[in-house]
Amino acid sequence: MARRAIAPLEYTRRLWMRLWVAAVLAFLYIPLIALIIFSFNDSKRNIEWKGFTLKYYEKAFENSSLMEALFNSLTIAFFATVLSVILGALTAILLWRFRFTGKAGLEGTMTMPIVVPEICMGVAMLIFFNGIGWPQNLPWPFSLSQIIIAHSTFCFPFVAMVVRARLASFNRQQEEAAKDLGATEIQAFRDVLLPHIKPGLIAGALLAFTLSLDDFVITFFTSGPETVTFPIKVYAMVRFSVTPEVNAVSTLLIILTIILTAIAMKLQNAAALGASPK
Amino acid sequence: MESWRLNKKLFASVAALPISWLLFFFIVPLGIVWLYSFGRNAGLTEVEFSGTFANYLRAVEPLYLEIFGKSVVVAALTTVLCLVIGFPVALAIVFAPEKWRPYLLLLVMLPFWTNLLIRTYALIAVLRTEGYANTVMSWGWAGASGLKTLVGLEPLPAWEPLELLYNNFAVVVGLVYVHLPFMVLPLYAALDKMDKSLIEASLDLGASHWRTINRVVVPLASAGIWSGIVITFIPALGAYLTPDLLGGTDSQMIANVIERQFKRANDWPFGAALSFILMYATFILVAIQSMRSKEGSAR
Amino acid sequence: MADQIDIRELKTDRRGLLQRFGAAAIGISVVGGLAGCGGKEESSSDAKIAPTGEESKLNFYNWDTYIGDTTLDDFKGASGVNVQMSFFANNDELFAKLRGGKSGYDVIVPSDDAISRLALAGLVQPLDKKLIPNFKNIAPEFQDVSFDPGRLYSMPYTWLVMGIGYRKSKVKPAPDSWKVLFDSDQYKGRIALVSEAGDLFRLYAKYMGKSVNDMTPELIKQIEPLLIKQKANIKAFHEDNGQDLLMSKEVDLVLEYNGDMAQAMAEDDDIGFVIPKEGSQLNADNLAIPKDAPHPKNAHAFINYLLDAEAGKKITETILYPTPNQAAKDLMPDEYKNNTVIFPPKEVMAKCEYAKFNEKLQPLYEEAFTRIRAA
Repeated sequence: MARRAIAPLEYTRRLWMRLWVAAVLAFLYIPLIALIIFSFNDSKRNIEWKGFTLKYYEKAFENSSLMEALFNSLTIAFFATVLSVILGALTAILLWRFRFTGKAGLEGTMTMPIVVPEICMGVAMLIFFNGIGWPQNLPWPFSLSQIIIAHSTFCFPFVAMVVRARLASFNRQQEEAAKDLGATEIQAFRDVLLPHIKPGLIAGALLAFTLSLDDFVITFFTSGPETVTFPIKVYAMVRFSVTPEVNAVSTLLIILTIILTAIAMKLQNAAALGASPK
Repeated sequence: MESWRLNKKLFASVAALPISWLLFFFIVPLGIVWLYSFGRNAGLTEVEFSGTFANYLRAVEPLYLEIFGKSVVVAALTTVLCLVIGFPVALAIVFAPEKWRPYLLLLVMLPFWTNLLIRTYALIAVLRTEGYANTVMSWGWAGASGLKTLVGLEPLPAWEPLELLYNNFAVVVGLVYVHLPFMVLPLYAALDKMDKSLIEASLDLGASHWRTINRVVVPLASAGIWSGIVITFIPALGAYLTPDLLGGTDSQMIANVIERQFKRANDWPFGAALSFILMYATFILVAIQSMRSKEGSAR
Repeated sequence: MADQIDIRELKTDRRGLLQRFGAAAIGISVVGGLAGCGGKEESSSDAKIAPTGEESKLNFYNWDTYIGDTTLDDFKGASGVNVQMSFFANNDELFAKLRGGKSGYDVIVPSDDAISRLALAGLVQPLDKKLIPNFKNIAPEFQDVSFDPGRLYSMPYTWLVMGIGYRKSKVKPAPDSWKVLFDSDQYKGRIALVSEAGDLFRLYAKYMGKSVNDMTPELIKQIEPLLIKQKANIKAFHEDNGQDLLMSKEVDLVLEYNGDMAQAMAEDDDIGFVIPKEGSQLNADNLAIPKDAPHPKNAHAFINYLLDAEAGKKITETILYPTPNQAAKDLMPDEYKNNTVIFPPKEVMAKCEYAKFNEKLQPLYEEAFTRIRAA
């Protein structure tokens, strides 16, 4: 599949398209830019501009419980994403490739983690883990296992959904051809199917990471005394007031994300996220 | 699609992990809550499994059905807006030069790695009566008024700030803000693999861009559009924080009601019944969809 | 409450990243079953046994920023016990979480009616007063309270009273009755009420000249249409962030707690607070120990420490809420002690009362509130 860039197809060069994308990005970013600006505001509240200060950054750095919560959240999101991508991809392939009894039921069941109200899922997990006597007071990072399991459960159907949409455009003949040429099932999977679904896997992983990083309700019910996550900390903090310190931490988180992604992209030769398989 | 019998070993190795995970970490926990929906509160922490349907009967009272209906309307509106806003964005990313693509995708995703609550408060700061949106509009208004006086016309009447917060409009804006990437990502994943020569052919044969998008691009991306709709609509239906923080006195959605049952009202059986009505509905919809597509492929 | 806690010991000590990785990498030799596991990672740097005879750990489940800047450090210095603090945001969350069982927390901070509810549900344990000699520091009116007669299960931490916060330049004359919030279109669209259904109904009863504890299902039915009628004049039901709405000029009148309003008034001169003439509802946050707390002796020691005069003073300096700790209050500066928002005059307080927890009414409040919002 050679990619040819021919002028009529270069929608990105069209003015209306550029304006549209710019407007959407403005919608997405104006609140965040305001948030970043107000992290430098020398006032306890985010209402009026009272002067420039860096003190909330100092405070945020010194606030070890906040940093610890952030670190917990990133760890959870990482493991939950890995698990969700594996589970989601397998589910998508299963539903795409095979015909079997109870398939409609499985499909319905699989959408349920998406549908179930978070609070209901949270309570279910709380009862479940206490009921089976899941060990508590495990050393870090095993102490996060309940949260990671719960997150994987509600994230992987999202991955499956995205990957399946991607599989719809797969040409089975390619795989057949590979097998005709002597590739084993695993080789065909690795060299033909996997490259094809890679953008779906990446999109799914992004979704899963986002969902896990942001989840409050289910985390609340599966966390223990020593597993405070970032959303739990933030929800407790803003209950009294949204302080510039919260803004400062969010700004740091945004910068951290940019740096990490930049490194990841450099490592993958800048082609990892969007490029299609050759 | 092949029958599982043709390749049992492969089927087992693909199916084992997701199915057992779903069973242990989803169906079993949720099964307990499902049993709760047939129980009744016996004391503050005890639930008696009496096999009653009282919770369901209460859940289909007009009061709750109306809230269900309203939530569906709000979520559907959110989904349509996300699709309309997100489709051109996904298209733009797909047609962007290859080296830009990861950065564009990132640019769309980045806001969503900021905590939902923090993002919502940031949106509040923009939308409130003395927020940035109103401030900028009042400058524009003052500028227009100044221009009119310059050319000798009556100045405009005094600027009245718009009430952008604490109403249903704010809820929809907030939901679109929160759910946009849920739409853009699957659309991108589906559009990316599209065979671009088809679009070229359509354009070469004289179809307009609009017609090409309608007749060629959309059908090709239909799987992605469908999954985008599903994973935008369903979480939007379950949103509780956005209506809580941005909504006015009548902006409650079904998830807010469910949340209150599990927390303040401490009525877990009723909360469970409300939750499961949502799930039965989706389960049936998805199963029908799946059976229809099976018939379709069999034909 | 904006000031942050700085739990320095946690950073440099047991939760240090290196050690965490170390503990995970080396693997943990299990001594004394699973419960002992968590304690091992800090064993190199800490005494394993606290003076109470328990492992030197304590899990404190608190509202965020609801403790003194150095309190946890100071307690560690005094007793050698590491306090790990985690957070909940409201009493219903706390209850839902404890209801699941085996939560692992040692000390929790529920409000007044939540104490009754937890006690009724058997989720908190009776306190051993012999281990809490600092109870003597507590002002007499808080030593015995209606929501926990004889203070069997709880020790006082802070208390609050609800009233009307308003913008002085917009609300004239200053309100003196619940009428402006509940039964008037004078400030249409400029009012925010709390989203806690029980509080709304009880305060409405107060406005009608009844006690907050006179509530019956019939009275709820009677109040419901009145609130539906008033809804047209209300801009939002707030999640206990009324002071922010008032300060950002979104609304001119809010139903809020005195402690929150005292902070807002310190930052904005144009804000006032009043407890209406009909009287109001008192709230109190309390320290309690869950039934299945893993370190009950440490928990008693910690509660006793929090009731100490000097420790209480430091807590109050940070959170600036009214304190029930007489000895701590005596150490505070005059501008705190004589602040009539934080400590309303006796004759006003005489008309305020605690709401009793009523198991039967709670779901009725919620259902009525759902109808009000849907109307």
